[in-house]
Amino acid sequence: MKIIITSNSGHDVLAISGEVDMDTSPELRTHLLEFIHKRTPLLLIDFREVSYIDSSGIATFVEGLKGMMVYGGKLKFVAIPEKIGEIFSFAKLDRVFEIYGSIEDALHR
Amino acid sequence: MTGDIVSVTVPSHPRYLCVIRDITARMADICGMDQATVDQVKLAVDEACSNVIKHAYKGDTTKTFSVIFRIREKEFEVVIDDSGPKADLSCLRGRDLDDIRPGGLGVHFIKRVFDSFAFDKRKRTGNRLRLIKRLDRGNEDHHNQ
Repeated sequence: MKIIITSNSGHDVLAISGEVDMDTSPELRTHLLEFIHKRTPLLLIDFREVSYIDSSGIATFVEGLKGMMVYGGKLKFVAIPEKIGEIFSFAKLDRVFEIYGSIEDALHR
Repeated sequence: MTGDIVSVTVPSHPRYLCVIRDITARMADICGMDQATVDQVKLAVDEACSNVIKHAYKGDTTKTFSVIFRIREKEFEVVIDDSGPKADLSCLRGRDLDDIRPGGLGVHFIKRVFDSFAFDKRKRTGNRLRLIKRLDRGNEDHHNQ
């Protein structure tokens, strides 16, 4: 897993590539907690290059979402590949997370 | 192909889960499963192995565990052996999918694709988790060409 943090229209974008699993999710968690600590108002997660996610990766995002909700922050998912989306859907998390097709969609809705 | 066995023993470090995933996907493919099912089987076995590291070994990365894949006439079997204390089944029950909180999903991912999910009570020390998926053998021709 690789994580690249960029900015788009003044908003933080965390782009993940590769596999998010029990081995790599602690690194993801560290990044999310830093954004929560800074009270980032909107964080976009770009899933375009994510090839795999397991329950520990999902748990990390649930924890991140809950952490951001405490101060009114928003966590938006962008460009989720079909097979990753299927996992979120099975876990009924597609109705918990805000999911958008592109960064532009996420910024303008 | 029927009766073939592949086994692997890996250290109980999460970095080796990708090795198990790759082998699992290859074995499921050899069984003739479609790609969506291969992905589900891969996730399920990964979750079961993650549980070994998390629950049986409590995060101790110095142990090992074994995964044995068996292809039978009408089923695909995965047996996961560890040497940890007997599993606390309450850890493996999974949460209600409507109860949105971190954790508790792994068991759901296992049960949705495997037809049988059970610990072998005959194993005296450690745990032996046996996962069985029935096979529709209509799709295996391309592997035999």
